[in-house]
Amino acid sequence: MDGTTAVAAARPPVRAGRPRFRGLVPWLYLAPLLAPLILFVYWPLLHTAWLSLVRWNLQPGQATEFVGLANYAGVLESSLFADASWNSMIYVLAAIPLKVLLPLPVAVFLWSLGRAGGTYRTILFLPTLISFVIVAVVVGWMLNPIAGHVTALLSWLGMGFANPLATPDGAIITIIVLSAWKVFGFNVLLYLAGLASIRRDLIEAMRLDGASDWVILRRLIWPLLSPTTFFVLIATVIFSLQQVFTPIDILTEGGPENGTTNFFYMVYQLAFRTFDIGRGAAGTVLLFLLLLVITLLKLRVLEKRVHYQQ
Amino acid sequence: MTRTASIARRTLLGTGAALLAAPALRAQTAVELVVYHYQTGGAARVFRQILDRFQAETPGITVRDIFKQSEQITAEVQAAIAARRPVDAAQVIGKNILFFTTNLPAAPINGDRAANEWLARYLPHFLDLGRVGDDVFALPHSYGTPQIYMNLDLFQQAGLDTDRAPATWDEVIAAAIRIRERTNRAGVAHLHAANKDYGTMLWVMNNGAEYLSKDGMRALFDDARGIEALQTWADLAVRHRVMPIATDQQWTAAFRAGQMGMYMTSSAGLRASVQAAEGRYRLGVAKYPTFGDRPRRVPASGAAMMMFAPAGARRVATVRMFEYLSRREVANLWSRETGYMPLSRDPLADPAMADYVEQFPLVRSSIEQMPDTVGTAVWAPNGAIEAQIEVSNLVSALWAGRGPAAELVPPAVQRVNAILARLNPA
Repeated sequence: MDGTTAVAAARPPVRAGRPRFRGLVPWLYLAPLLAPLILFVYWPLLHTAWLSLVRWNLQPGQATEFVGLANYAGVLESSLFADASWNSMIYVLAAIPLKVLLPLPVAVFLWSLGRAGGTYRTILFLPTLISFVIVAVVVGWMLNPIAGHVTALLSWLGMGFANPLATPDGAIITIIVLSAWKVFGFNVLLYLAGLASIRRDLIEAMRLDGASDWVILRRLIWPLLSPTTFFVLIATVIFSLQQVFTPIDILTEGGPENGTTNFFYMVYQLAFRTFDIGRGAAGTVLLFLLLLVITLLKLRVLEKRVHYQQ
Repeated sequence: MTRTASIARRTLLGTGAALLAAPALRAQTAVELVVYHYQTGGAARVFRQILDRFQAETPGITVRDIFKQSEQITAEVQAAIAARRPVDAAQVIGKNILFFTTNLPAAPINGDRAANEWLARYLPHFLDLGRVGDDVFALPHSYGTPQIYMNLDLFQQAGLDTDRAPATWDEVIAAAIRIRERTNRAGVAHLHAANKDYGTMLWVMNNGAEYLSKDGMRALFDDARGIEALQTWADLAVRHRVMPIATDQQWTAAFRAGQMGMYMTSSAGLRASVQAAEGRYRLGVAKYPTFGDRPRRVPASGAAMMMFAPAGARRVATVRMFEYLSRREVANLWSRETGYMPLSRDPLADPAMADYVEQFPLVRSSIEQMPDTVGTAVWAPNGAIEAQIEVSNLVSALWAGRGPAAELVPPAVQRVNAILARLNPA
């Protein structure tokens, strides 16, 4: 009897079961997770890809007509596409300084306050809890150019009847600021969670070596916070495109002059205002590809700079 | 013991069978209709009252009403039909009738031609909006007509005659400038509605231009009259600075709060405007202004009722409900309680309506304006939303003063027509 046999003999007996079904056991354990994932994520994804190749308006009894890539051509030819693409880029670019970078120093400041920062954390997080529909409706009232509170203030400054939502630039800036205000506290909280994992003794060691606050932030905190920053960046960019849907729909409906529409809103208009399901699905697939490319680029370019170990 | 158990078992089985059979039996005699609508507040209450009276008159038919927002009702009805949820009748915004007739299983109300007899209770031009050949697909129901709402207190403060409403656009502009100068309030605003489509249509048609071709395939408002009308709208915001740029909701809120001199909007808002003004300011209502001495020509706003009930008992019951809604006293009650036009022929032949107009003269202008009211221009089945977004962009550009209407309107009309041609191939 060699060593291996001896160890095997010492193990408790394993219930062999029927070899035919033994391979199914791991799948059974995974099923509660996989089933909803397949049903609600992967199947709709595949079905959307199929819908993007047919002409159909959802009505019962209406046959779907295979049209190849015509729906993609239809989206690209749409008068909305160019403006939606441009605005989507603006929403994403504006999100990086306002939603990814700005919360970082605020989080570090709150972290440095220790327990005393609790009240500020609560105040900053409150906007996240308010429904965006309510926020948009209230802002619409405040910006009413005739009877709103902001108008009263502007009139006092000699700018009667000014309406920031009346011009494309004013409207998109309003939506960007509103969206940043809404998500700011949440991202601060994510950074605080990342900061909580940084060992204080490393900071003390740097202080003993005479490092200034700036050097500690630059050389220690920033690198160790890079996994959180990376996560916040990816999540915020994707979230930004869909989060602005609510204020767009309530405040501007994509206008004025397509100045606030974006990819999500365009898809909504194509699919659920006109029930042109084929073009709506084609827009969705294009949006999916865009987000995939952005995410892959970020993974490729930025992940090398992320430090996962302290 | 065994016999007792057997009786008990039989009783139990019998009761169960009866319980199971009951709905089936009821189904043979009772029909429940599902009606989608966008009425809120007092209008929703009176709509329900009318349905209750119909139910009381027709035992065996019950009506369930489902509310959806006016801006969402088109999509909601389509979604319900797509999901195979029951939709027997629905309010459909006038401009979408052709889309619903073409893309959804709408049934003609006069499939049985006997219905033509009671459909003749309506003024013909309201019926024409839903007519395809000999078939009538849309029952005139919640049609409003645009009119001037005036804050007479602001008129008085501005030194304007409160007994004489502005009758032409020149007079409206003069009054608005005076209100702005003397009271520092906004002078006037003009309803634009979703995608600024109805507002644009109203301006150009009232000046004698056509908005769309009959088949909805081409925009036609790039002629001299259309351009002149849209330039006047732009001038209110840019040249005269009497119309702050805002949404309909913002204008409505400001007018009802007493902050604006005049507001051109649908007669459907009459009841709510009266309530808002009560105890705060005197409200005046007058007919929609004309361009000089050109005849007034205003498209109806609002919705018709369309039928989607499947053939059989539900469709028969839906037609009975439509017949009930078409009766002059019912249509008049609906009009009195909401501000929508009384759409039947000679509405004042109903003594209740005549008394009402006597006691509530603010409603008179909408009744007097009925002969000037024409059908809404109807868009082609595909591409309407994209085309309307082009119209919306045009109006926003005009309001922002990006150029004169003569420069901006023709290319916008070309873009609209290109969209319609691309999405509605012959």
